[in-house]
Amino acid sequence: MIPRNQLDLRKFVAPEFICGRGALELAGRYARNFGMKQVLLVTDRGVRAAGWAGAVADSLTEAGVSFTVFDAISPNPRSRQVMVGAEVYVAEECNGIITVGGGSPMDCAKGIGIAGSSRRDILGFEGIDRVSVPTPPLICIPTTAGSSADVSQFAIITDETRKRKVAIVSKMIVPDISLLDPEPLTTMPRELTVDTGMDTLSHAVEAYVSNASSPMTDVHALEAIRLLTSALPAAIAEPENLDLRFSTLLASLHAGLAFSNASLGAVHAMAHSLGGAYDLSHGRCNALLLEHVMAANYGAASDRYDRIGAIIGGGETTPAERVAAFRRTLGITETLAAAGVREDAIPALAAAAYADPCMVTNPHNLTCEEIERIYDDAL
Amino acid sequence: MHSDPPDDRDALREKIIGLGETSLHKSYYPELQNRLAELERFRALLDQTYDAIFLIHAETGMLADVNATVSAFLGYSKKELLKKSFIDLVAEQRKARFIEYVRKRSDLVSGSRQTCTTVLVSRDGTEIPMEITVREVTFSGKRYVTAIAQDITERLLAERELRIKESALESSTNGILIADPTGAVMYANRSFAAMFGCEEASALTGRNLEAFFADPAVGGEITAHLLDDHAIVREAVGLREGGSPFHIQVSGSTVLNDAGQPLCIMLIVMDITERILAEQLRRETYAQLGKNIEQFAILGDHIRNPLQVIVGYAEMIDDPFAEKILDESRRIDGFITELDRGWLRSANVRQFLLKHGDGSSSARKIRFRFLNVKEEDS
Repeated sequence: MIPRNQLDLRKFVAPEFICGRGALELAGRYARNFGMKQVLLVTDRGVRAAGWAGAVADSLTEAGVSFTVFDAISPNPRSRQVMVGAEVYVAEECNGIITVGGGSPMDCAKGIGIAGSSRRDILGFEGIDRVSVPTPPLICIPTTAGSSADVSQFAIITDETRKRKVAIVSKMIVPDISLLDPEPLTTMPRELTVDTGMDTLSHAVEAYVSNASSPMTDVHALEAIRLLTSALPAAIAEPENLDLRFSTLLASLHAGLAFSNASLGAVHAMAHSLGGAYDLSHGRCNALLLEHVMAANYGAASDRYDRIGAIIGGGETTPAERVAAFRRTLGITETLAAAGVREDAIPALAAAAYADPCMVTNPHNLTCEEIERIYDDAL
Repeated sequence: MHSDPPDDRDALREKIIGLGETSLHKSYYPELQNRLAELERFRALLDQTYDAIFLIHAETGMLADVNATVSAFLGYSKKELLKKSFIDLVAEQRKARFIEYVRKRSDLVSGSRQTCTTVLVSRDGTEIPMEITVREVTFSGKRYVTAIAQDITERLLAERELRIKESALESSTNGILIADPTGAVMYANRSFAAMFGCEEASALTGRNLEAFFADPAVGGEITAHLLDDHAIVREAVGLREGGSPFHIQVSGSTVLNDAGQPLCIMLIVMDITERILAEQLRRETYAQLGKNIEQFAILGDHIRNPLQVIVGYAEMIDDPFAEKILDESRRIDGFITELDRGWLRSANVRQFLLKHGDGSSSARKIRFRFLNVKEEDS
């Protein structure tokens, strides 16, 4: 356990963000203000079908900004997709990126910005502070409330050849501006709302117990947990309630500000490993791992976990059990085995998780064997 | 158990917190400074070039930017130049032609290069002939024309000198032929072509030198000699296209490069057929003339000897006709003496000619036969 002292050096980086109804419609104005002449509009087909990419396009057209749409993006975006996007960015002579969508289009857009500026393969930027050439101006418009890619210094790209997720961590890829509009969240299906919500909770919990946390990140992490646990079940029940959706969006924003600066921990390290190997939903992986990691880490940050448990509430005795109960109330009742994870894959999954940069800020310095045991518990 | 050294993990953690050396929020300023420095270096390069570079607004023709060379050529400051259109700088008498040139090419595909020559006028009125390469480009959605102008004053002078030299070569009444060191013809002038019965001088290009001699080996000999000694003058028998031979004199030299290596050989060829025939005729005439003088000397002797006998007899006899015979004999002797004088003058002329001719003669011998001719007669 790393001792905490409030006098320890810490840094807090946050993008400019505008939140509230109609924020999406400001895309054109901000694109123009950033001097964008030709925008690469990065989205996915689902968001396009829901009409949100079209709404951004209209805003750009109204502002007199040209754009090219790139939507060839899957969940857990592949490095190949990033490189194709970068080729389009260069070929179309774009000078700015706007991304509208969930974590996948936003992470892909960050990757496109990196590869497009540096003209190098995106997988070469794996790790921390590897991005040296400034990326083009990036405007993020999230249509989910969970990934927080719209405020974070993280981009997670899947290395499809080696079947693993690559974390690119750099303050260079913190977006220039985020437009947080609750309206696009209303078209999220229930399952996506649940998974992204659990992603938010994981971000907040891990940031709060991170050994790189700070008083500033603590404020955001705790507020994220408070907002999320109160608003998410209600938003699932009333998916078109803009106030509830906005609360989940704010929760995601707080969680993003917290984890982007305090980083994450074992839950995300292990979820990245799982997602790379099995192409599973990132939020669902977090949901299935969170309580088990909390239990394993408890001794290293018990007071913090207890505070989390107090916010979540419930009759259960440990914070991990309270999180598990919350998960179940959202309808997530399966295990990793039910999601298709095999027991004999655990050593490889643990090895990959151990090497993930998120593991560095886990409150307890987990060994590979300990990570294997956590996977085993979640199986 | 897998474990990274604690130092590595600590370093990673420092970076994640944002305290690493390069854990920086995105800033375009350092990159902007780098790019500006690059631009300044590039600008310095452009300013150092001898070419005058203009960036022109495609729609208005106004100058958008110029390099320092433009100011150096034209004597205007950059500030002054940016208030002018490009056409303002073109000489008055060339404006209409230049505008027409631009108009004709305005529908060309963007990005294609075009080159033209025109005359620009400097602040002090100096006219500077320029070769200008223009190209349409688009920056930030705006159309521009780049014009790169080279001062071609010296080139025009050099071209003029070259044209004079070429004209001299081409109009020479002597045949001139330039061949590479292997003897392959690179150039032949009109006179050479005409001399060898060829209508087009260019048709001779590529042929070997030996094709122009009745004895093909002569061509090889001349080439070999020139490569060894670098100069030659000789007579030979040339061969026309139709196969007819004729007499030529060949003066050749080798053109060497700075390293002393032969670049090409140059031959000056003269048709000397008339001269050769004239010499032949002269030789025959001299021979005939000598023969005639000799025969006339013999004839003179044949007349004078009997005449001396007749005079002797007439002086000895006492006869009224003797005086008459003597008078007639003296008259005949006068005729012969006159003939001798005439032939002596002819012999002197012939002697003069021979002195400047082939030198073979029997004139001296003949002259001493006219012993009775007085000194003043010669």
